Amino acid sequence: MSRRAIARRELDALTREKTIVLAILIQVVIAGFSSVLVVGLTSMYDPDASGGTVEAAVTGEAADDVVAAAGEVENLRARRFEDRATARDAYDRGRVDAVVHAEEQDGRVAVSASVPRASLRKTVIVVQLRAALTELERAERADRADHLVFDPLPVPPRSDASPYFGFSYVLVVPLLVFLPVFISGAVVVDSLTEEIERGTLELLRVAPVSLAGIVEGKAGLLAALAPLQVLLWIVLLALNDIAVDNVALLVALTAAMAVLAVAAAAALALALPVRQRAQLTYSLGMLTAFAAAAALPEHPATTVALLAIGSATRVTLAHVAGYVVAAVLAAVAVRRYVARISPERYG
Amino acid sequence: MRPRTVLRIARWETTKGVGGLDRGAVAVVLAAAAFVVAFGVVGLVGGVALEDGIYRVGVDEDSPFHDPVAADDALAAVDPSPAVVDEGLRPGEGYDLYVESGPEETRLYLVRRDGEPTDKSLAALAAFRESVEAYNERRMRSEANEIAAFPVVVTVEFVERGTVGGSDDGGGGTGGDGGGGEGGGGDGRDDDGSLPSTGGGDGGRFGAPSIGAFDLFGTAGTSGSPSAIAPPFPFQSLVLAFLFVLPLNFVIQAYGSSMLSERLDRRGELLLVAPVSPAEIVAGKTLPYAAASLAIAATVVAGLWLLGAGAGPLSVLAVVPLSLLFLASTFLGAMFARSFKELTFVSVTVSTALTTYAFVPAIFTATSPVAFVSPLTVAVRDLTGAGVTPGQFLFATGPPTLVAGGCFLFGLGVYREEDLFTQRPVHLKALDALAGRIRRPRSLALVVALLVPFVFVAELVAVALLFALPVALSIPLVLATVAVIEELAKALPVYAGFVNGFLAEKLSLLVQVVGLPDVAVADAAFQTGLGSDSPAAVAVLALAPLLLHVATATVSALGASRDRTAFAASLALATLLHLAYNLAVVSRLV
Repeated sequence: MSRRAIARRELDALTREKTIVLAILIQVVIAGFSSVLVVGLTSMYDPDASGGTVEAAVTGEAADDVVAAAGEVENLRARRFEDRATARDAYDRGRVDAVVHAEEQDGRVAVSASVPRASLRKTVIVVQLRAALTELERAERADRADHLVFDPLPVPPRSDASPYFGFSYVLVVPLLVFLPVFISGAVVVDSLTEEIERGTLELLRVAPVSLAGIVEGKAGLLAALAPLQVLLWIVLLALNDIAVDNVALLVALTAAMAVLAVAAAAALALALPVRQRAQLTYSLGMLTAFAAAAALPEHPATTVALLAIGSATRVTLAHVAGYVVAAVLAAVAVRRYVARISPERYG
Repeated sequence: MRPRTVLRIARWETTKGVGGLDRGAVAVVLAAAAFVVAFGVVGLVGGVALEDGIYRVGVDEDSPFHDPVAADDALAAVDPSPAVVDEGLRPGEGYDLYVESGPEETRLYLVRRDGEPTDKSLAALAAFRESVEAYNERRMRSEANEIAAFPVVVTVEFVERGTVGGSDDGGGGTGGDGGGGEGGGGDGRDDDGSLPSTGGGDGGRFGAPSIGAFDLFGTAGTSGSPSAIAPPFPFQSLVLAFLFVLPLNFVIQAYGSSMLSERLDRRGELLLVAPVSPAEIVAGKTLPYAAASLAIAATVVAGLWLLGAGAGPLSVLAVVPLSLLFLASTFLGAMFARSFKELTFVSVTVSTALTTYAFVPAIFTATSPVAFVSPLTVAVRDLTGAGVTPGQFLFATGPPTLVAGGCFLFGLGVYREEDLFTQRPVHLKALDALAGRIRRPRSLALVVALLVPFVFVAELVAVALLFALPVALSIPLVLATVAVIEELAKALPVYAGFVNGFLAEKLSLLVQVVGLPDVAVADAAFQTGLGSDSPAAVAVLALAPLLLHVATATVSALGASRDRTAFAASLALATLLHLAYNLAVVSRLV
């Protein structure tokens, strides 16, 4: 019975319990959840997505300036009203989305805006009003330029970029790289502690395979599954028009991370052969490592994002190389540790 | 249930395997300490800039645009090489945006592929625009002439439509302890014309929000310069969700391991044969973990209170149902799982699903009453001093508590020798758990009644997930989901009953009992989510749904008495019937 047989047995168990399917489903749900979240939340800001043009009633002595500034903003229509009462009336009847009252006060333009409280559109209304008032501020600043030391830089034009572009690479891709890695390690902890706790490790040892062989077979399989899953995600993302750059490097990075995770997991499971303790230490430790990685010049999640979006620098590549070296060292160290352990310990 | 027995089992559970302090316990404590320290330090430093340098901007050191680019995390300033833009910027040159500033004019180059600017280049331009705006704003703050630097002062107030009398906010639903000043509804009336508050301006794209900024909650009005106006967007609920929910994941991990390891090597048999009931065993083994999660919630709330949030016991109380729900579903998972591996996936599924349930509705805390689907909303409102009415509190915490109770009951159904120590597939065990409660035809009604809170919560979550969509899309989707959930809930116990060969007749009689709570559930779901059914219409329609439920349940029960395929087919038929009915009723009413 070789390492490969152990790995095949492990894969059998995973497929029989349908845990692989569940694992992939969970990742789909988590990725879908975060996408829905961000897309849904961003659409709260987006006038196109939340009910079209915002109508504002403008009153007060500086009303004309506000109407002019609002003309610069798409999806916002500002109309002048004679007095506050009629504007308020239109607001109460739901014919305008907001009432804006603007007047001169101590050399400033004082604007007070009323926005409906119980409305899902209130975010988009505030966003549109803010855009108009920023235009107004720019114009008023230009009028007072003589009193200013710094001449504001011209603001670049608006672009119709997708607001989700960066999000796909900064959040979704790193999530889909690190989730399989984390889960692989957790499964190694489960698999080893279960054999030890159930006493089946002893039975396995009757077969012509060393303890090191057993650990390598189990850990090796799960270390290999992580990059395979990442490849699958990359293909799926590409089908959704999210092109991922540097695929080979990303897969190499995932493989290195997975080896690091399963090596740590295997060492933990053998050192603390009780599932509860080993699993808690593993998950707390992984999260600690993820947080502590902020001390690196480039956080691993940033490395993934930079690779995927195609903005990798020399620093990024150095990090990938560093992880590969660390993975090799960790694998060798755990192998030595396993070789030193007497299997009778778990009998 | 005898308290002393429960407490004794709880004591065993806490001291289990601890002959002094074993290596495992020390490792866990060390890891937990390292975790707290690492996250504390990263949190203090201000989080991780995940988007560090994702867009490369070619800009000269001498250019006035260099400073804004250098100050923005998302942008990386790259030394320009003028040759690349001679014939327009192409992909693969190492730039996503190129700024060429001459003495007279500044030219921006976008990366073009086949004449069209690439998505990445457009996104880089949008980020560049934001960073220039932020840079201008920062420079203006250091101007001596404040009036010229900030010539516009804005006050935004949130006003109920249709209320008379100017800027007062009329009937905000914050009756409870309305005295709570700051965060209460719409009292941003202090137009003191003060300078823009500089504190709030740092909420960048995807940047970690600062926990201390509880005044930015969005229900209160905001005032300041236009750029300081924060749109109502409760980032805090995200932070809070993680603060409250993340520790629960560790608690359920330990709890699940402990419950499942009882089932290995028949270890739990000793307790089972002892003169204690399964309920006492489970209560005793759960108690330490429930206490731990309560302690963690109390610590988090106390910490937030020290940070200046208006937190109180109400927040802790709101998190209790959530932690019970986590524990209960993990217990059920540990009863069903065949191995540690399976348990890992079950608990990851549980925490994903429950985090969604707790978190998604709470996003709408400031905007919609649908937020009260999640108990977390109560905590969020309490932390911001907004207060909740007893009715809202019950609405948010009642269903999850009932669901947790239901999970424990179903789990107890399989806490017996023949289920604990055998390897049955998860779905068969689940059917066992349902069937364990069905002994007589009458108890079928009881099981379905037990399922009512599940149905309620599932429908509420569906409403919360779907209500933000356009009405034309959301109503049919909500109705379809409701139909599927209700039919499943009604049909599953029947199926379980048949599979175990318990039940054959008197079905229609039972289903009438069953129909009543279901109707109430459906109407409640509609009233929260859509607000379109008037009470009168509900009363008129009370009879029709009853008939519908009888009809659909009979259809699926007929299928269940045959075999699995017939069951699936008849269930689908029943669901379609239900959906058609729902659509007809709502399209008539709305």
